[in-house]
Amino acid sequence: MPVREVLRPGSVAEALEALALHPDALPIAGGTDLMVQLRNGRKNATTLVDLDRLGLAGLQESDEGITIGAGTRMDAIAADPRIRRLYPALAEAAAQIGAWPIQCRATLGGNLANASPAADTAPALIVEGARLVVASTAGTRQVPVEEFFLAPGRSALTPGELIISVRLPSPELGPGLRAVERFVKVGPRREQIISIVSLAGRALVGTDGTLFEFRLALGSVAPTPVRARRTEHLLTGRRPDAELRREAVRVLQDEIAPIDDVRAPAGYRRIACAVLLDRFLEEAARG
Amino acid sequence: MSKRAAHGGPLGGRHERPDARAKVAGSTRYVADLALPGMLHAALAVSPVPSARVARLELAAARALDGVEAVLTAGDIPGKNQVGVVFLDQPLLVEDRVRMVGDRLALVAARTPEAAWQAARLVQPLLEALPGVHDPVAALKPGAPSVHEGGNLVRTFRVVRGDVARESARAHVVVEAEYHIGGQEHAYLEPQGCLAIPEGRERITIITSCQCPFYVQQAVARVLGIPLAAVRVEQAPTGGGFGGKEDYASEPAACAAVLAFATGKPVRLVLPRELDMQASTKRHAVVVRHRWGADRDGRLRFAEVDTVMDAGAYIGLSTVVAERANVSSIGPYHVPVVRVATHVAYTNNLFGGAFRGFGAPQVTWAAEATMDKLARQLGMDPLELRRRNVLDDRRRRTSTGQLLPRPVLARECLDRAATLAGWDEFHARPRAGSAAAREGMGIGLVLYGCNLHHGGQRLDRSSAVVILQADGSVVVRVGLTEMGQGNLAAAQTIAAQALGVDPAVVQVWQPDTTTVGDSGPTVASRGAHMSGLAILDAVRRLRTRLDPVAAELLGCRAGEVELAGGFAFVRGEPERTVPVARVAAEMAARRIEGIATGWHRTKARRFDPETGTGAPYEFYAMACHIARVKVDADLGLVRVEEVSAAQDVGRVIHRDALEGQIQGGIVQGMGWAISEELKLDRGRLANPSFTDYTIPTAADAPKVKITVMESEGATGPFGAKGVGEPSLIPTPAAVRNAVCDALGVEIDRLPLTPPTVVAALGERHPFAWLLSERRVDDHERLATFDRDG
Amino acid sequence: MAERVTVSLTLNGERRTFEVPPGRRLLDLLRDDAGLIGTKEGCGAGECGACTVLLDGSPVTSCLVLAASADGHDVVTVEGLASAGRLHPFQEALVTRGGVQCGFCTPGIAVTGVAILAHREADPSEQARLLSGNLCRCTGYTKVIEALQTVTGMENE
Repeated sequence: MPVREVLRPGSVAEALEALALHPDALPIAGGTDLMVQLRNGRKNATTLVDLDRLGLAGLQESDEGITIGAGTRMDAIAADPRIRRLYPALAEAAAQIGAWPIQCRATLGGNLANASPAADTAPALIVEGARLVVASTAGTRQVPVEEFFLAPGRSALTPGELIISVRLPSPELGPGLRAVERFVKVGPRREQIISIVSLAGRALVGTDGTLFEFRLALGSVAPTPVRARRTEHLLTGRRPDAELRREAVRVLQDEIAPIDDVRAPAGYRRIACAVLLDRFLEEAARG
Repeated sequence: MSKRAAHGGPLGGRHERPDARAKVAGSTRYVADLALPGMLHAALAVSPVPSARVARLELAAARALDGVEAVLTAGDIPGKNQVGVVFLDQPLLVEDRVRMVGDRLALVAARTPEAAWQAARLVQPLLEALPGVHDPVAALKPGAPSVHEGGNLVRTFRVVRGDVARESARAHVVVEAEYHIGGQEHAYLEPQGCLAIPEGRERITIITSCQCPFYVQQAVARVLGIPLAAVRVEQAPTGGGFGGKEDYASEPAACAAVLAFATGKPVRLVLPRELDMQASTKRHAVVVRHRWGADRDGRLRFAEVDTVMDAGAYIGLSTVVAERANVSSIGPYHVPVVRVATHVAYTNNLFGGAFRGFGAPQVTWAAEATMDKLARQLGMDPLELRRRNVLDDRRRRTSTGQLLPRPVLARECLDRAATLAGWDEFHARPRAGSAAAREGMGIGLVLYGCNLHHGGQRLDRSSAVVILQADGSVVVRVGLTEMGQGNLAAAQTIAAQALGVDPAVVQVWQPDTTTVGDSGPTVASRGAHMSGLAILDAVRRLRTRLDPVAAELLGCRAGEVELAGGFAFVRGEPERTVPVARVAAEMAARRIEGIATGWHRTKARRFDPETGTGAPYEFYAMACHIARVKVDADLGLVRVEEVSAAQDVGRVIHRDALEGQIQGGIVQGMGWAISEELKLDRGRLANPSFTDYTIPTAADAPKVKITVMESEGATGPFGAKGVGEPSLIPTPAAVRNAVCDALGVEIDRLPLTPPTVVAALGERHPFAWLLSERRVDDHERLATFDRDG
Repeated sequence: MAERVTVSLTLNGERRTFEVPPGRRLLDLLRDDAGLIGTKEGCGAGECGACTVLLDGSPVTSCLVLAASADGHDVVTVEGLASAGRLHPFQEALVTRGGVQCGFCTPGIAVTGVAILAHREADPSEQARLLSGNLCRCTGYTKVIEALQTVTGMENE
C-alpha cells in the first residue's frame, strides 16, 4: 500500500488533531524502524504524520530530574554530558543502537513506541525509574516505562496517542553510597547489532558491598523488556558473594522466557543473562 | 617474460588506481545508475517453497496492474529454457518442478520498479508440495527424495595413493573428526543487476554487473535462440563479486534479455537485497570426515578425507568446486598415503557456487584443525608439526603426485608469519587469565592452485587488445573483469611496464565481448595473470611494428630498442632517446598498424579425475596466516585482534592493490569464521538481510601485518602469481585454531558464533549447570540454528 | 491525478525544490529527481550505509528518510563534498592510500568520513566505531582508516 499523504504538523496540538482525524495514520519520527516495516509489509499506512516539527527534541533539567523530549535523537542522548553522568545506562544504550547514521535519526520516542522486546533504551529506562509522558486530544497521562510494553510490537499507547517526553527522576544517593549503573548488550559482532540479550542494572552500593537498592531489567529475553523483580528482591539489602550470585542467576531464569529465534537459541540467551548478571553483581560488590 | 624488468617502471608501485578517483567522487555508473528513455523495470516472481510441482500460475492480476507491460513464463522463452553453466539441469523459468526457494516462476516488466515488484507479488502459483531433502548427507542415503532424475549423488571425485590399512597400523597417533562447515553469502555491496537493450529481435546489448561477460553472452544467446555474435555483453563497473557474480550473473541477464525481446524496450533488473541473498549462489556448506595418522615424531603417515558438499538444487559450478576441494584436502603437506573422496549431493537448499577459495577454504579449515589436534595429541608445537610436514624444495610432490617447481615457500611462509605474529614470544609469556579475555594464537596454511583446474582447461585462455593512439596514449582491452580486486590497475601497470610509459597514459576499458575473445571467468585468482600475459603478448606483437619506427628515429637497429620512462632508447646508450609519444605520432602519420591483439593459454597438462593423480593446476601460491584472538569465554564472543599474513606472490604488480586484497580477504574470511551464518529453515533463508546476516564492520577489523615474498620461476606476468584467494583461505583456519588454543576445547563447527563457542565448552562453562538444572528440553538446546530443517 | 508533496531543501549548497510522490524516499529524490547517482542503494533497510548522506551535517541513511521529511533541511551528498573543483581531503586520501576497491560503498564512506573529521574524532578505534554503519566487503577497512588518519594528521599540523 503506497503512502499517499504525509502530514507535517507544526505543533503537538496539530499532530494530535491529525492523528485523531486519521485513525489509520502512522506517526513517523526518525523512521529507522517504520521505514523498514513499510518496505517489508510488516506495517501499512496511506497517511503518515511527520513529527519532525513538533519541537519535541531536547533536554530539560529541573529539581526533580531530567525530561527528555521524545524527538531527541540517540546521538544527542549518547553525547549529552548530563545523561552520561547521571544516567549512564541510557547513554550507553543510545550509543549502541544500530550504528552512527541510525543514531543520528532514531528518536527516543520512536525506540519506545516501536515496542520491540529488543529496544535498547527500555532496560536502561526501567532501571532508571523513567516515566513516559503521553498525550492525545483527550489529555496527558504518565506511564511508568515498565508498564509501557504489552507484547512484541504493541505498546500501551491507545489510538491517537503520542509519546511527548520521558521523565527521569534525579538519581538518589545516600551518604556512603556509590551508584553503579550499567547497560550491556550482546551480539554476534562488535557494532551494529540487534541485541541477542541486553541487561541494565542499577545499584546503590554501600562501602562493604551491600546493595541498598537494586534494579534489574533485561531485553530480548521475553515478549517485552523485563523488570526482574524477584531477582531484585533477592539481592536488595544483601552483599552478593559467590553463593548469592549463584542463587541470583537461578532466580533470574524463572523471570525470563527466551525463545529460539533467528538470532540465537534460547539456551544461549539463558547463559548470557546469567553471565551478564553475575558480572554486574561482581562489579557492584567490589569496594 | 618472467625476468625482472631491467629498469624501474611502475611495477610493484603504489600509483593511483585508475578507477579510484571517479569512484570516490560518486561519478562511476553502476547498472542501477544507468537509464534509457522508455526503459522498463523487471521483477521476478519466485517460489516461496523448496520442493513442489507447479499445477498452475495465475497471471491475470499481475497483468492487470497499471504500468505492467509483460508477464512471461517458461513457454515465452524464445530459445532454450536453460541457464546451467556446466550441466543442463537448470531452467531459467520453472516449467513444472520447483526445486529451491527462489526458483523463478515468472518475469515481469513494468514502467516503474514498484509496479514491477508489486505485480510479481500478485503472480499466484498453485503449488503442490513435494517431499524435499535439506541435509546433504541424508540426501545420499537410500530413500531420500530425489531432487532430479537419477538420484542425488552428482559426482564423486577421488585422490587415491597407497595403502591406508597398512599405514594405519603403523601410525602412532590417529585423529578422527567430523567437521560441519557452513556456507557463506558473498554480500557484495552492489546487488546483482543488468540492463538489456534490444535491437529488434535480432541483436541485443547487455550491460551487467558480472565476473564473466562471456558466460552471460552464452546464456543470453541460448535463451534467445540467437548466435553468440548477436549478443554484446559489456561488463559494467561491478560493485564486488567474490564469485557470486561468476555464473549467477547470467540469470538476471537472461531474464532481462527475454523481457527486452518480448517488449522491444530496454529492460533493467536490479535484485532487491533480500531476493539476492535468498536466490543467488552461496559458498557450499560441507561435512568433512577425517582420519589422519602420524608417527611419534609427528610425521604424517596417512590421511583419509571424506567430504560431502551440499550443491543445492542445481549443479551450477559445484563439480568444479568439488574438484578443487578434492585435491586441496590434504593441504601443503607431505603425506605418503592418501585417500580422499569428495561427493557432491543435490538437496533442495540454496545452490552452491563459486566463492573466493572455491572449496579450498572448507577443506583447509578441516585440514588445519586436524593438524592442531595431532599436535595436541603429540604434545608438539603446532608450528613445529607443520614445519616437519610441509612440502619443500626437497619433498615437492603434492598429494596428486604433481612436482612443484622450486622454490617451494611453505616453510618460509610459516616462519615469516610466525616472526610477524610473535609466535614464540606469545607462547613463552603467561596468558591473560580472566574468562572475559582468553588469548590464543592459531595457524592456517594453504597451498593454492592458481588458475583453472585441469577439468576447466578448455576455458583457460585470455585475449587482449592494445591500441597505440596517435598522441602516445594507449587503449587496453582485456577479457578479465575488474570487481574491486584491482584487475584494471594490474592491466594498466603491466601494459605501462611493458611499453615503458607512465601508467597514467594507459586507459583500460571495461571488457566487452565484441572487443576481445572469450577469456573465461575472472576467478581462481587468474585475473592479473591471464590479463597480464595476454597484454604482454599484444605488446610483443605491437613492438614488431613499433620498434622499427623507433629504431629509425634513433638511428639504431630494431633489436636494440628499449622502452622505459616514457622513452624509446638504444640499449646501452640511455642518452639517445626519443619519446614514445613521438614514435606513436610517426606510426600514425605513416599509417602503420597501431593495434595489436594478444593471446595466452595455459599449457595442457595431465590429470586423472578417477584417481586424482597428475597436475590439477598449472602453478601454486603459498600463504600462511596466524591469528591472535581474545575470547570472552563465558559469552562465547570471539575478537580477532591481529592477523599476520605471509604471502608467496611471485611478483608484486601493484602494492596497494595487493595489500588491499590481503586485508580484505582476511576480514571476509574472518566473517565466515565467526559471525556469518546462513540460517536455513527447510531451504528458506531466514536471515536474508544485513541486519541478521552479520558481516564484519570497521569496528571488527583486526590489525593486519603483511609480509610478501617475491621469487623467480613463476610463469605469470613478470613472475606474478595470483593472490585473490590465498588472501582469504588461511584466515578462517587460523581463527578457529586460535580460539581452540585460547579455550582448550575443540570446535568442529563453523561459524564459531557465541552459541557454538559456549556449546563447545559444555560442562566447563561456569553456568552449564543452569541448563542441566532446568531440564532443558529440545526447544532450548544450545546448538546453533538447525541447518537440517 | 497522483498525489504530490513539495520538498524544498538545500542540496549540496543549492536551494532546490521538487514535487515528489508522498512516500518517496530521500534516496530516490536524490538519485531519480535530482540526478545525483553517487548515493547508492545497497540494501534499502538502513543497514549497509551505501546511501549515507549528511542531513544538517549529520550522517543518515537516506533510504530510511522520507523525502518529505527533508523539506526545509540541508542535505549534502558525495557530489557535494568537493569544493572549488577539488575533492575533499578525505576523498583524496582514499585515492592515494588505496582505500577504494569496487567503489560501491565508497560514496557512503566518504560522507561518513567527512562527518567523522568534522567531529574532530582523531582516535582510530573511535573512528572505526563511527564508521561501523558503513559496510565494506572489499577493503577490510584498513586502508580506509589509514586514509582517515592521514587527514586527521594533516589537520593536527
